[in-house]
Amino acid sequence: MPEVQTDDPIQRKSLSTAILVSSFLLVLSLVWAMEDEFFGLRPWRGYQLRFTAAYSKYLKQQIPKQENALKAIESSPRYQELLAARDAAQKAAASRLAEIDAETRAVNQQQADISDAFTTARGKVQALTYQVELARKGSSSRASREKDVEEARAEKYTVEAHLPGGKIGKEELDFAALSDKFVSLKAKKAELTLQRVAVSKEASDLSAQLEEYKKEQLAGLGPEQLRSLLRASADLPIEIRQINVNPSNVGLNNFGSGGLVDRCQSCHLGMDKAVVPVTMTVTKADLGVSKSHDAPFTSHPQPELLKAHDLERFGCSPCHGGNGRAVSSVEKAHGRYEHWLWPLYHSENFEAGCQQCHSSDAWTQYAPVLNRGKALYRSRGCIGCHKFEGFDDQPEQLQASRQMIKQLEQQKKENELEVPRLNKQADNAADNDTAHALYAKATNLTVTISKIDARVEQLDRRAESLSREAKKVGPDLKEIRMKLHKEWVPYWLGHTHEFRPATKMPQFRLKQDEVEAIAAFVWQSALPGPALPAQPAGNAAHGKELLQTRGCLACHSLGEGANSVGGDFAANLSRVGEKDRYEYLVRWVHNPRERTRPYCPFEKRDLGPEDYARHGLPFVFDLDHSRCPNDGHELEVQQPTVMPNLRLSIEDARDVASFIVTLKRSNASYAPAPFMDDGNLLEKGKALVRNYGCAGCHEIAGFEDEGRIGAELTTEGSKPIDRFDFGRLTEVAKRGIIVQADGSPTKKEEESWYDQRGFFLHKLVNPAVFDYNRSEATLKMPKPNVTADDITALTTFLLGSVDPQFPPEYKYLPADQRRDIQEGWWIVTKYNCMGCHQIQVGQPSILQTLPMYQAENKANLPPALTTEGARVDPKWLEGFLKNPAQSATDTNRNGVRSYLQVRMPTFSFSEGEIQKLVRFFAALSSQQSPYMTPKLEPLTAAERDLARGLFTSKAAPCLKCHATGNPAHDKIASAPNFLLARERLKAAWTERWITDPAKIIPGTSMPSGLFRREGDRWVFSGPLPASFHGYTKDHADLLVRYMFQLTPEEQRALLGRSPGSNGAGGAN
Amino acid sequence: MKVRFFASAACLAGMALFLVSCGKKEETAENAPASAAQPAATPIDMATVGSVTGGVKFDGVAPKPKKINMASEPACAAAHPGGVVDPEVVVDAKNNLANVIVYVKEGLGDRAFDTPKQAAELDQQGCMYVPHIVAVMTGQSITVKNADQTTHNIHPSPKNNREWNKSQAAGAPDITDVFAREEVAIPVKCNVHPWMKSYIAVFKHPYFAVSGADGSFTIKDLPPGTYTLEAWHEKYGTSDQTVTIGAKEAKTVTFTFKPAA
Amino acid sequence: MWGDWRQLWEIVSVPDNVPIVALLFLVPFYVWYAFRQALATDKLIVQLTSDPQLAKTHHRKVFPWKLGWDREVHVWPYLLRIEFLAAIVITVILMVWSITLNAPLEEPANPNLTMNPAKAPWYFLGLQEMLVYFDPWIAGVVMPTLIIVGLMAIPYIDVNPLGNGYYTYRQRKFAIGTFLFGFLTLWVGMIVIGTFIRGPGWMWFWPTQTWDHTRVDFAVNRNLNQVLPFSWVVPDTAWGRGIFGGLATGAYMVVAGYLMHRMCVMTDFAKKLYNRMTLMQILTLNMLLVLMLSLPVKIVLRLVFRIKYVWVTPWFSV
Repeated sequence: MPEVQTDDPIQRKSLSTAILVSSFLLVLSLVWAMEDEFFGLRPWRGYQLRFTAAYSKYLKQQIPKQENALKAIESSPRYQELLAARDAAQKAAASRLAEIDAETRAVNQQQADISDAFTTARGKVQALTYQVELARKGSSSRASREKDVEEARAEKYTVEAHLPGGKIGKEELDFAALSDKFVSLKAKKAELTLQRVAVSKEASDLSAQLEEYKKEQLAGLGPEQLRSLLRASADLPIEIRQINVNPSNVGLNNFGSGGLVDRCQSCHLGMDKAVVPVTMTVTKADLGVSKSHDAPFTSHPQPELLKAHDLERFGCSPCHGGNGRAVSSVEKAHGRYEHWLWPLYHSENFEAGCQQCHSSDAWTQYAPVLNRGKALYRSRGCIGCHKFEGFDDQPEQLQASRQMIKQLEQQKKENELEVPRLNKQADNAADNDTAHALYAKATNLTVTISKIDARVEQLDRRAESLSREAKKVGPDLKEIRMKLHKEWVPYWLGHTHEFRPATKMPQFRLKQDEVEAIAAFVWQSALPGPALPAQPAGNAAHGKELLQTRGCLACHSLGEGANSVGGDFAANLSRVGEKDRYEYLVRWVHNPRERTRPYCPFEKRDLGPEDYARHGLPFVFDLDHSRCPNDGHELEVQQPTVMPNLRLSIEDARDVASFIVTLKRSNASYAPAPFMDDGNLLEKGKALVRNYGCAGCHEIAGFEDEGRIGAELTTEGSKPIDRFDFGRLTEVAKRGIIVQADGSPTKKEEESWYDQRGFFLHKLVNPAVFDYNRSEATLKMPKPNVTADDITALTTFLLGSVDPQFPPEYKYLPADQRRDIQEGWWIVTKYNCMGCHQIQVGQPSILQTLPMYQAENKANLPPALTTEGARVDPKWLEGFLKNPAQSATDTNRNGVRSYLQVRMPTFSFSEGEIQKLVRFFAALSSQQSPYMTPKLEPLTAAERDLARGLFTSKAAPCLKCHATGNPAHDKIASAPNFLLARERLKAAWTERWITDPAKIIPGTSMPSGLFRREGDRWVFSGPLPASFHGYTKDHADLLVRYMFQLTPEEQRALLGRSPGSNGAGGAN
Repeated sequence: MKVRFFASAACLAGMALFLVSCGKKEETAENAPASAAQPAATPIDMATVGSVTGGVKFDGVAPKPKKINMASEPACAAAHPGGVVDPEVVVDAKNNLANVIVYVKEGLGDRAFDTPKQAAELDQQGCMYVPHIVAVMTGQSITVKNADQTTHNIHPSPKNNREWNKSQAAGAPDITDVFAREEVAIPVKCNVHPWMKSYIAVFKHPYFAVSGADGSFTIKDLPPGTYTLEAWHEKYGTSDQTVTIGAKEAKTVTFTFKPAA
Repeated sequence: MWGDWRQLWEIVSVPDNVPIVALLFLVPFYVWYAFRQALATDKLIVQLTSDPQLAKTHHRKVFPWKLGWDREVHVWPYLLRIEFLAAIVITVILMVWSITLNAPLEEPANPNLTMNPAKAPWYFLGLQEMLVYFDPWIAGVVMPTLIIVGLMAIPYIDVNPLGNGYYTYRQRKFAIGTFLFGFLTLWVGMIVIGTFIRGPGWMWFWPTQTWDHTRVDFAVNRNLNQVLPFSWVVPDTAWGRGIFGGLATGAYMVVAGYLMHRMCVMTDFAKKLYNRMTLMQILTLNMLLVLMLSLPVKIVLRLVFRIKYVWVTPWFSV
């Protein structure tokens, strides 16, 4: 357009700058868009590039190392020897191979010669035959076509064949001849191949051996493998790497709809089997990125776990949490944002991931924190208020079975009334058919009644074992009038943790008047008597020795604070003297399970002598007399404590008690508590006791059937966050404002703790925290006595307690022996067997860690049970667990190892528990049950003499250490009596044992090297009695067989012969 | 999210492109640590080495030696016509304490020493260990002999070393073993003969000695320097002293043990 | 908790709310901009009407017009280049926006656990807010329909021939006024309320007040019949209440209708238009205006007088 002369701004003003700038911006934004497309939205690209670089570098460093290692191996004599052998073999075979190859070539040549002609002929014939088959039988066309086939068959082909001489000759062959020749050549060829293999076999085997040898000698991957890895990582495709699991049924969970998609390996390349083989581990240091906080490249730190949990089946996020599909940012992928419901577990809570599938385990391998959490949940009495599926639910079961008994009896009554009625109807029935029907009905009812009786009887049995299994965390408060000093009770309620810093009992938030009311109620509701018999004082010094040697310290600890020694499974005894009465302690130490009065769950009261008198019975109740004199049902005849009976004599019990009462602070004194007998406090006290759920952990008169007052926590970890009551701290938590223990917010701010973890952590530190700023307290939960580590453990446990995010079939509920192990752990942990015994290799018992059992004193430890299942006969073990004294009369002793100070106590397990334990040990050492006692070859007279000779020879001082039943000797004995062997041991194990005990129980007093391997038999390594010359059988086997048929007489005879071990033997 | 919001807000003003940095973190590269190479041990100039000699005293009344009853092993009992006493505390007339291990605890720095070729010996004569205390260097082999006509088993129960427990019949070949880690001192016992007890001390260096019947000991060839000497006794525990050795200097030290009150 | 600026920032910075934040500034700006132009044009119109000769040649709606300026300017290049520039800038803005703010995805829907507050997309928040003042049937169905119908009806009830193709205020006061009231106050305003004011439990939170999920609010909302004694008109039965509500509503209709009528005939110019209209047009217009007015009235009744419904029947409530 014409340029107008004008000062019109619209025309004059130039927009070029504006347009230039904005277009420039446009270009820039395009560039940015690109960058965002490639890296911003796909951070994994960056990670993969960096990983490849670091990894290749690492591999390059490794290759030379491995090459040198390989060279070393190749120069080793064994390798050289193999090599030589191989070469020799090859040389030997060479000439024959050459011939074979020559022949093969010839055959091939001949085949080549005829193949053209043959294929043509065959083709023709087949085609024509097909035509024939198309035509109807007997038709003229068919006949003519058959003629064509004949011609084709007869047709001659000229073949130029190489003759042996090497010159070429012509042949005229028809189809038949050709095919014959072809077939024969084929056969020839096959035969030649076979020959070749046969001839070269030796050489090839040897080279295989060579490779094998190399592999087993070389630690880690060989240079070749490394090179291929290097090549692979060099051209590693930059792409999303994902695991896709599609189990049958998927719900709203980490698996998402359409199965699990985990792309974690897109950044965590070290976890990708395809990139870093499972046989190889790569650490940050290896990759040279140990300083970087943003290099998720290492391989899995716990490869064993990956072996058990195949990534292709389990993926990553189900165990670790996080959003497996997200790849747009670390925050998103780890699910650490408000909209992802399964965020990545914090590192200290990782083991929560195990719990979802292993919720049925009491003890899970590789999950120490989780295990601790579970142990605490039981031992600290959380279970007393908060039900948890799978945890000790005997109370509920007992309730149920008793309910059932009531119903059945009701039904029985009705039936009994119904029967005569029916008979009556039948008697005057209109016709016989009706009468028969009615009679039949009556008869059936009568039978049903007897059936009901049977059922009730069974239920009672069940109730018995259940009430044996049902334990309370806290002591039986019905007994406190006999047990405690009155003044101490209120003090304890108010100052629980001051008095005993390591106690399991939580500290309740009680006002003084509440304390008084509760104390008064508990005191007055307790059993008035009969008062315990007075006990003469015992010898405290001896008592102390007993306490320290009998094994009490496996559960209890002595000494306050830092210098406390012993286990934390049970109470610290350092101040018991201030609270307990001597008489009660004596009874308790003598038999902790002893009750003052039995409790009848049907009459809901404690029976007294009068009840028994009414039926003319003595006031005797124990596990053998556990039926109610009034209604004949099971009573509670034991105290609900896990503490076992150590079978101490009453004197010893007095000594121990006398020592314990001395354990007190010199200045200990408690204010008089007149209110304890104030009847007006009863009602209030009762209400409070119910309100605070004291009966969850204690047996309290009138509260025997009290249920658990807390919320069930089985799936607490997956409870929606909105359902947790953060109270006035909701907003504070959302903003991650740090709060003090009492809940008052500080100025500091961190990441939001408005999540399950945050709730658990704060709640466990101070259960009242969410009452912050509330006008009146609403929370009852007392303050648990836990350390920071305990809190982590419990949090981990609760976080993992979720509606499983796996499909059900992923849950760990094994059907094989592993189930026995799973069940066994519940009992083992319940009774703290690991306090005294080592059960798992590498899992020391409490005693093992105590100072008095170090170095040479290890010999005084109870036996390790790591191979118990393989060692003992299950039938025997059953008996032993029932009565570890192994004698009805003399119970104040150890049944097997009489020489040990530590004593296996009597737990009075229920039938079920014993069965489970036996199966547990069998399963732990993968023994098949039921156990079939193998038939041992009987000893010939000659062999018996030999065995005797060996047994008593100077060289084999078996009887010096092994107990013989001679009291004087047994005092210094350090091994069990041989007479036990037949009943107790398994022969196979025994043989393994005597040949190398250290392999089975490291550190045992039993020496190794008693036998030496000679050919395929064990031979005694000491100088042999002359009689052995010419004995060609296995010496170990001989001894075992002898041991298993040893009789007391035989043993006595031996003692006579054996040097030294005569009566007065031993250093005394 | 917030950062991004800022960005966008700024961009709406049309300038942010220059501000927003394309966030790609820099990796802090570093070389994979080579197997931590030991700094070369300071060589010892044999011309300047000194020595420490001295004695171990027992301050107090020596406990009455316990008699050992070998009745259960007549053969051995016969070997000691005069009877035997427990060698736990051996004090001579002049209150010299025997069987005390004196050794350099600190002061050698990172020097490494090669283990002596010849093996230490632990013999079993008349159901007693001879000597009662054996001191060796790490990796130095110990040969256990059995001169008795009975079977012993040798059962060291160390804290830091491998535990083993081998039986040795009369006339059986010697048992030879080594201890890889420093430890003072490993109790050795025979489960067959409960009274048999011995200790094996293992050191990383050759500067140790066991006080003889007269309580005297000598540590030779000590390079000049300041050392913490420690004396160890199976019953009375340990006591430390610091000595400074000049070139070619011979120091004398005396350790004194008191019976535990 | 007052003076909680972080809370305010959290609301403002949610990607969802970005357009609304922009709305807060852009809408007033463009209203002002449009008015500037409109008023300028009005002046020009005055000038041109006084000089018909000039009007024949002067085609530019720009005022004040200076000597030396062209009386007409070509679309190409003068308009198009500006539009081009605008296009570029908008593109840049959209690009940057789309890069920096991703689509705000949330957790998998869980029927057992609904979010709180549960808000509609920003452009529907106005409607959602209406649910506070009417029952779902009215607010969710009737009102939206009426809005659409009303918008469709405009061409048929607008009899004002002026103001085509140029900004003017004088010539279309009524149209502009109605639009501003309907769009700014009622539509945008409610969106803003729904976005920034309505917190958890759809409770009323002033800006910088913490959106506390545990907040407890005491408010009694009664229906008109519970406030006014009416039994002297009709018996206090279900029917009675229904009738009373009907009467009350009717009364409003009448009064509001009259007011609207007065408004339509306020000025001579308005009268002139009014006379051009058919009865149908008048009624439709009047009804739409009355209904439009009912919303603010209801808002006031609800928020100020705590009156829930004026007219309660088993089928609908107003």
